[in-house]
Amino acid sequence: MIPVCPLAALPPGEAHRLDVDPPIAVFHTEDGEIYAVDDTCTHQDASLSDGWLEGCEIECPLHASSFDLRTGRPTTLPAKLPLRTHRVVVSDDTVYVVPSEEPPNLPPGVRAGTA
Amino acid sequence: MTARSLPPSVIATLPGGYYTDENVFALEQARVFESMWFCVARASDLGKPGAFRTVQVGRESVLVTRARDGSIRAFLNVCRHRGARIRTEESGEVKRAFQCPYHAWTYDLEGRLIAAPNLTKMPDLDRVEYGLVNVAVREWIGYVWVCLADEPPSFEADVIGEATARLGDERAIESYDIANLAVGRRIVYDVRANWKLIVENFMECYHCATIHPELTEVLPEFADGYAAQSFVGHGAEFGEEVQGFTVDGSAGVDRIPGVGEEQDRRYYAITIKPQVFVNLVPDHVILHRMFPLAADRTIVECDWLFLKDVVDAGTDLGPSVELFHRVNEQDFAACERCQPAMNSRAYARGGVLVPSEHHIGAFHDWVIGKLGTGSG
Repeated sequence: MIPVCPLAALPPGEAHRLDVDPPIAVFHTEDGEIYAVDDTCTHQDASLSDGWLEGCEIECPLHASSFDLRTGRPTTLPAKLPLRTHRVVVSDDTVYVVPSEEPPNLPPGVRAGTA
Repeated sequence: MTARSLPPSVIATLPGGYYTDENVFALEQARVFESMWFCVARASDLGKPGAFRTVQVGRESVLVTRARDGSIRAFLNVCRHRGARIRTEESGEVKRAFQCPYHAWTYDLEGRLIAAPNLTKMPDLDRVEYGLVNVAVREWIGYVWVCLADEPPSFEADVIGEATARLGDERAIESYDIANLAVGRRIVYDVRANWKLIVENFMECYHCATIHPELTEVLPEFADGYAAQSFVGHGAEFGEEVQGFTVDGSAGVDRIPGVGEEQDRRYYAITIKPQVFVNLVPDHVILHRMFPLAADRTIVECDWLFLKDVVDAGTDLGPSVELFHRVNEQDFAACERCQPAMNSRAYARGGVLVPSEHHIGAFHDWVIGKLGTGSG
């Protein structure tokens, strides 16, 4: 379990980029849910934590692929592969993630361990 | 340039080359249009966040938009990566960001670089430093003004001050509540003439009786050739039989409530150098913005502004718009008639200004002062 940030540092509508390899994006939706997915868009190397959060979807700032944060599945092209989702734990007012053990779907030219 | 000996009733104009020479125009771009406050758009053109316009200011294309917080922002329309134009349309709307179509460098509505392919591999690239280059912005009377200078001159002195100097009172323009009027009509004119010919034309009325039959019917004193712009605080009075500032003198539309009795039935004109003309009549305001594109070409955007209720009600604005539209066409045709002759050897040393045009000499002195081209 990796500590991300104090809960107070992640208000609804905001994102936090966890600098692990590969990086993880943690989102606090306007509805109060917290989700963690891989930060790197599966289409091209771009940071989803810089994207636009709407409901429980995140839109990539580069080419507007959208992903459902609950499942990681792309809902809008050009991305075709899903993001990994990571389990979120909030304990003692701190946000933690439990990284997935699945292999990530990184875009072409991006490999884990090269970040 | 050797001094000319002229009869006492006339003074010299600028030499013809000032209207045709590419070097003079380049100096004007740098020292006038890129150095002064320049009016680019009606604020309502940028109705909501993401709405944008691209405008030419001197040598630069400027991208003007409304940010998420509602404020108006302006940037040089150049991607910081490899220099591609961010947007080439005259106007449009983006949802959330400006994205360069070349390599997808992406900027938010405040100009910050927010995304680019592999940007996460370049954490040393500062997102503000490599954001779009900001340009100073002011809003006044519902218009957006930009200044490309690193240290903009005083907006109060250079822009608001011109209106105060012409009307003789800093509150006089406020009576028209221009910021809250609505654009009833906009006409864009592509004029094949130097911008200074258009300014000079606007400043004098020696031509009025000859080329503006409709205008001199409405404003009989214009027929004597003495320009409204050589007097301070003077508005030309409507003719006795005239009911409104319309093409046939018929009644206009609802009067702007703040316009007092002393401003009623009068026409006031203001030149805000270098590129704005404001025309005030009791029921509407006409505002011209010039975009000088070349020594011999100027785009003029002209807005007719009325009370919002008048526009929303679908009132017939035709007779009001038609009057100054004709004046514009008559004026711009006159300027286009002069432009080709500016190269003639007959005009190499320029022409002359008659007494009712002498105040244009001050405009010429101002131009020479800005360009630093005086002979000392």
